[in-house]
Amino acid sequence: MRPARLWKLANANLSRELGALAVSAGGVALGIGCLVFFLALGRGLQRVVRDVFPISARELEVVVPQVGIGSLFGDVRLDDAAVARLRQIPGVAEAFPRLALRVPAVTRYSGPFFGREIRMGLEVVGVGIPSALIGGDAHLPFVDPGEGEPIPVVVNRRLLEIYNKVFAPQRGLPTLTDSMLVGFEFPIELGRSYVAEKTLAGAYTTRLRLAGFSDRAPLAGLSMPLQTVRRINARFGQDTAGYSSVLLRAQRSEQVGEIASAVKRMGLDLDESERSRAVQIGAAVELVTLALSLLAALITALAAVNIAQAFHAEVRERTREIGVMRAVGATRGDVATLILAEAAVTGVFGGALGVLLARAGGLLVDRLAATSLPQFPFKPETFFDFRPTHVALGVLIAVAASLAGAFFPARAAAALDPARALSEG
Amino acid sequence: MSTIELRALRKRYPPREPGGAPQDLWRGLDLTVEEGEFVAIEGQSGSGKSTLLHVVGGLDRDYEGEVLVLGERLRTLSDARLAALRHARIGFIFQSFNLLAELTALENVLLPDYFGDGVPDAGQRAREGLERVGLADKASSRPTALSGGERQRVAIARALLARPPLLLADEPTGNLDARTGEGIIGLFRELHREGMTLLVVTHEVRVSRAASRVLVLREGALFPDPRLEGSA
Repeated sequence: MRPARLWKLANANLSRELGALAVSAGGVALGIGCLVFFLALGRGLQRVVRDVFPISARELEVVVPQVGIGSLFGDVRLDDAAVARLRQIPGVAEAFPRLALRVPAVTRYSGPFFGREIRMGLEVVGVGIPSALIGGDAHLPFVDPGEGEPIPVVVNRRLLEIYNKVFAPQRGLPTLTDSMLVGFEFPIELGRSYVAEKTLAGAYTTRLRLAGFSDRAPLAGLSMPLQTVRRINARFGQDTAGYSSVLLRAQRSEQVGEIASAVKRMGLDLDESERSRAVQIGAAVELVTLALSLLAALITALAAVNIAQAFHAEVRERTREIGVMRAVGATRGDVATLILAEAAVTGVFGGALGVLLARAGGLLVDRLAATSLPQFPFKPETFFDFRPTHVALGVLIAVAASLAGAFFPARAAAALDPARALSEG
Repeated sequence: MSTIELRALRKRYPPREPGGAPQDLWRGLDLTVEEGEFVAIEGQSGSGKSTLLHVVGGLDRDYEGEVLVLGERLRTLSDARLAALRHARIGFIFQSFNLLAELTALENVLLPDYFGDGVPDAGQRAREGLERVGLADKASSRPTALSGGERQRVAIARALLARPPLLLADEPTGNLDARTGEGIIGLFRELHREGMTLLVVTHEVRVSRAASRVLVLREGALFPDPRLEGSA
C-alpha cells in the first residue's frame, strides 16, 4: 500500500472518528505532556544544582588526611615534591596547589559603597591559588604585588549571588554586578582576629583590590595570589612549604577514579564534601524526576488502553467497510497497516499536543515562580530545560503508545473474515 | 477455458443447537461459467446465493469441493494472491453499494488503486468510468449527496476500474426503484456485449431476463430455469 494512498484513507477515517480519536489523542497528550514536563523540570533542576555546586567531573581536591598513620609520623605533606608526584599520576593534566592564609585577618570598612554609606567588620579567610586556576576570570593582574601594594583578590561568583539575593535586599543595599565591583578596594588587617579577640605581634594593615569573580575560587573566603599568601605566612613565621590542598584536573573524566586510587596510594586523601553534596542532591533530583516520569508513563499507558478501546470500537463499526476493502483487493496486511497508520497519526497529534502542553505548563510555572516566590540565591529565570530531544522523545513515545494500543484492534481487523464482514457489517 | 468452475461444492454451517447436526447449505454444487457468459442465479432468501458469490470471489474459504476461477484453484492461493486476484481480475457489486462515506465519488472509484500495486492510469480510468455510468459531473460529490441509483453506478465504476474479466454482482438492483434498476441492467447488458463474464445473484426477474443463462439455487442444488433461459 503506497504511503500517499495510505495517508488519504487514514485521514478519511480519522476525520469520521474525530470525536473519539480526539479523546484518544487527548489522553496521549496528557501522558506525554506530563512526561516532557517532568523531564524538562528534572534537567532544569539539575542545572540549578550545577550552578550552586559547580563541580567539574574532571577535578579532584587532594588534601592531607586528618587522621592517618602517615600524618602521625609527619611524612605526608603537600609540598612541591608531593605536587610534582601528583602531576606524574597517569591521566593528570594539571595540578593547582592551594595555600591557606595561616594568620587571622579582618576587614573593617566604613565609607561610601555604591551610593550608600556602610560600616562593616568581617573575619577574612584567605586562600592562595595560582593564577592559572582562575584563568581569564581575573580582570586585573593576579600576581603578588609586593609589600605595601593592594593585594588582588578573586571571589567565588556564588558569594556575589548570595549578596545580591539575600544580603543586599535585607539591608537595602544595591544589587551589584562583576564589572561594578572589579577594582573596588577595602582595607585588611593581617594578624588580627575579632573572633579570637587577639592581635598577633607584627599585625599590619594593607588593602585588598577586587580583581574578579570566578567559580574556580574557593567558596569560603578570598582568593589571593599563591605568592602573596606564602609571603604573609612567612612574615608571621608560619609554614610556607606545605600546601593545604591540591586541585587535580584529569585529562578525561573517566580517568578520575584511577587518579583517586593513585592519590590514596600516596597516603593522601580527597575532599569530596562539596562533590558528594552535589552528587546527593543531583541523585535526589534524578530520583524524583524518574518517579514522576514513571507516573507520566503510567498515564501514557492508560492512554494506550483507551486507544485500544477506541480502535476496537472503530473496527466493529467499520466491519463492512473492511469487507469492501478486502473485496477490492486489500490484503490482511493492508487492513492492519491502515489501522496502525491511523493510530500513528493519533500518536503524532497527541505527542505534539503533549509537548505544547508541557511547554505551556513550564511557562506557567516559571511565571508563578517569578511573581510568587521570594528572591533566593541562584533562583533561575526558568526551572525547565526543554530540549529538541524532549520533543522527539515525546512524539516517539506517543506514536509507540498509540501503535501498541492499536496493535490488537489492527490484528482483529486483519483477521476479519471478509465474507462475514460484508454480511454482518 | 471456463471462467468459473465449481465441482461438488458443499458448505456446512455449525449446528444451531449444541449437540445438533451441522446444517448443509449446499449438497454438492456443480457449475461451469464460460468466458463471456452472463449468468443469473435466483433463489429464495437463505438459499446461499450471496455465499456462493463470496466463495467464487475468494472471500469465503470455508467450503468443501473445488473452486476454479479464471484458471486459479482458489483453495491453494495465499491471502495475498487471493487479494491480488480480486484486485485485478474480479469486480464486486453489492446490493447496498458499500461506498466509503468520507470519500468522494471519484475517490470511491479509485479505491482499488489504494491497494496492491495500484491500477495503471487509475485516475484517467476512474474519470472514464464515471463518465461511462453518467456521473462525470458528480466526481466530487460524497455518497450522501447521491441518489441510490447514482451510488450503485459509482460502485459499478469502482468494480470496473481494474477492467476485470469477471464481474460478481449481489442483488445489484435490490435497493433501486424500477427505472433506476433498468439503467443498471442496461449497463450489465453493455458489459456482457463487450465480452465480460457476469455472475449476478438476484431476486428480480428483470435482471434474469438480461442474462444469457438463469439458474435457480434450491434445496442446496443449482437448477436451470427454463422460463427465462436464453431470453436475453
